[in-house]
Amino acid sequence: MKKLLFLLLALGAMTTVSAQTIPDVKIENQKGETISTLSLVQGKPMIVSFWSTTCKPCIMELNAINEQLEEWLEEADFEVVAVSTDDSRSVSRARAMTRGNGWEFICLYDKNQDFKRAMQVSLTPHTFVIDADGKIVYSHSGYTPGSENVLFEKIKELAK
Amino acid sequence: MKRLAISLALLATAVAAQAQISVGKGQLSGSIESNNIYYMEDSALAGSTPEDRFGSNSYLKVDYTLGRFSAGLQADAYLPVLQGFDMATYGAGHKFVLSSKYIQWQDRNFAVRVGDIFDQFGSGILFRTWEDRALGFNNSLEGVRGAYNFNGYVSVKGVYGRPRLYDEYASSWVRGADMSVSISEITGWDNGMLNLEGSYLNRHQNIDEVPDAEMLGLTSSDINMFSGRINFAWQGLELRGEYVGKCNADLYSPIHEAARGNAWLAEAAYDYNRFAVSASFRRLEHMSTMASLIGGGTGNVINYLPALTRQYTYMLTNLNPYQVNAEGEIGGQADIYYSLRNRTDRSRYWNFHANFSTFYTLEENGGGEHRLLWRDINVDVERQWNRRLKTTLLYSRQEWNPSHGGINDDTYVSDIFVADITYKFDKKKSLRVEAQYLLSGDYEGDWAAALVEFNVAPSWSVYASDMYNLGNETDKMHYYNAGVSWTHSRTRLQLSYGRNRAGYVCSGGVCRFSPAYTGFNLVLTSSF
Repeated sequence: MKKLLFLLLALGAMTTVSAQTIPDVKIENQKGETISTLSLVQGKPMIVSFWSTTCKPCIMELNAINEQLEEWLEEADFEVVAVSTDDSRSVSRARAMTRGNGWEFICLYDKNQDFKRAMQVSLTPHTFVIDADGKIVYSHSGYTPGSENVLFEKIKELAK
Repeated sequence: MKRLAISLALLATAVAAQAQISVGKGQLSGSIESNNIYYMEDSALAGSTPEDRFGSNSYLKVDYTLGRFSAGLQADAYLPVLQGFDMATYGAGHKFVLSSKYIQWQDRNFAVRVGDIFDQFGSGILFRTWEDRALGFNNSLEGVRGAYNFNGYVSVKGVYGRPRLYDEYASSWVRGADMSVSISEITGWDNGMLNLEGSYLNRHQNIDEVPDAEMLGLTSSDINMFSGRINFAWQGLELRGEYVGKCNADLYSPIHEAARGNAWLAEAAYDYNRFAVSASFRRLEHMSTMASLIGGGTGNVINYLPALTRQYTYMLTNLNPYQVNAEGEIGGQADIYYSLRNRTDRSRYWNFHANFSTFYTLEENGGGEHRLLWRDINVDVERQWNRRLKTTLLYSRQEWNPSHGGINDDTYVSDIFVADITYKFDKKKSLRVEAQYLLSGDYEGDWAAALVEFNVAPSWSVYASDMYNLGNETDKMHYYNAGVSWTHSRTRLQLSYGRNRAGYVCSGGVCRFSPAYTGFNLVLTSSF
């Protein structure tokens, strides 16, 4: 535990403020093809949300974003990327759920959790706001109804 | 309590270390997760309190990336390991484990990694290494992995290493290769996808190490396994098939005789507009593959055989979840989703979902019938009435065999009803209430449960819940729980107190698996 503490303190001391960029990881798209996460960076800001079929607050958050998406898109141009961390047990259910819930997002399937590990996600939901150049500008874990508004505030700041 | 103070100090540091770090041209990122329980004496759960009242599982993960190069490590501290985690069967006491370290180089088509490897072939029935902190294991291979992609036409990968077995290593070596050929890319078919795939896996462990190897039916130190797969997608239709087989007799559990295992998996899915269906079928026979022929624990595996049933997030629907019958089972499940949306107002919609799953033994009973292991028919309807009010109703009828396919043909039946209501007072404040009832003439009888959760977005959530076994004639037990969680950007802290039955606990925005105990629970997660 002491070692951990010292390591963390050392890291804290080294800290300089600079934005991190999205890591390059292979992931499956809705069609089942393997793509690189870097291909998501298309000159638009994005909300990237990690979810799974067994995570109820994740689904609540994505439904809340989906509800307000049309209004938000009138004010700022951005993409929403829903990354399912479901493994092979439930990935086909995740695919069905994204369609069944009518989510108008880019849906990705991180079956081996490589993207989840690279983005340092311990618990879902974990949601990131990423700017047009692929830099992570904000992230939040957990979901409480209404916290999706913070994500949109960050997107609006980027659109300015 | 001193250790709690250390945990709090850790939190303060984690909060201070919010900003990302750049070292030279590369970048450093990391995450921390700490689960701490202070166990309280509870006369209703006699014997549940460990001698050392405290348990703590903590993980620190750090990764460094410089262009195509990356390296990282993860350190785990178990001070000691939380009650109910299998790691304790490999020696109790405090443990500090370097559970992962790697260096990796990757470009568009080529990747090589030396260190601990997380990977899977196909659905994982043949091979899968992963970390699950809720289950408390990480069976990563310590070794080398290489992968190459030939223009999207063919991709190949190979792994070689020894599997981690909790805080030790299995005395086995695993080598495997996997190939995927994209027929659609080769023929230039743009509208759909057709992949043909195959894998080979070998596990080598000297059977002289295994007591009574001959008596158990083990004949070779090498177990060879293979799989063949087909993936097809066209418009809204998807079909997948997989066959996995073992060429030699292998132990599929520490207590059973060796046998040659095999498995079939078939999946189909179709979607059109906001209508989606998916179905899966699986037949397993002696297909569990252990990392080591010696030793127990759910983490002593190198493949993945999940229960193909609906995994719930409501308390009473999770009381008796289905577990895979490693000896053999046949069955499947189906899901239907449909969403009905208001054309002009997106804040008003209906979501319908139905699920069915059932599994039988491969062996027949005296009457020549396969025994029913599990059946679940469930329906849920979600209604967003307006911007403020949302309701969900769920019904599930679960039938399960208490002897898990043993000599008993009996099944227990539970009818479970759930109502879940969320009301938003304004943009920040919301209230969520769950009411649940389980109706059963068998086993523990009826249960009732309720949960109240009040949220102030984006930082605060407070909840209280209770589960009561009112139908139990001898042991009417309350499982109460109350907690508060606080989130600030990437840092989340949750403190709760309660009597916990084993199962998934979901509130305050996150779900996790929890073993049975009474006590205080402090969970910290953060990343930088």
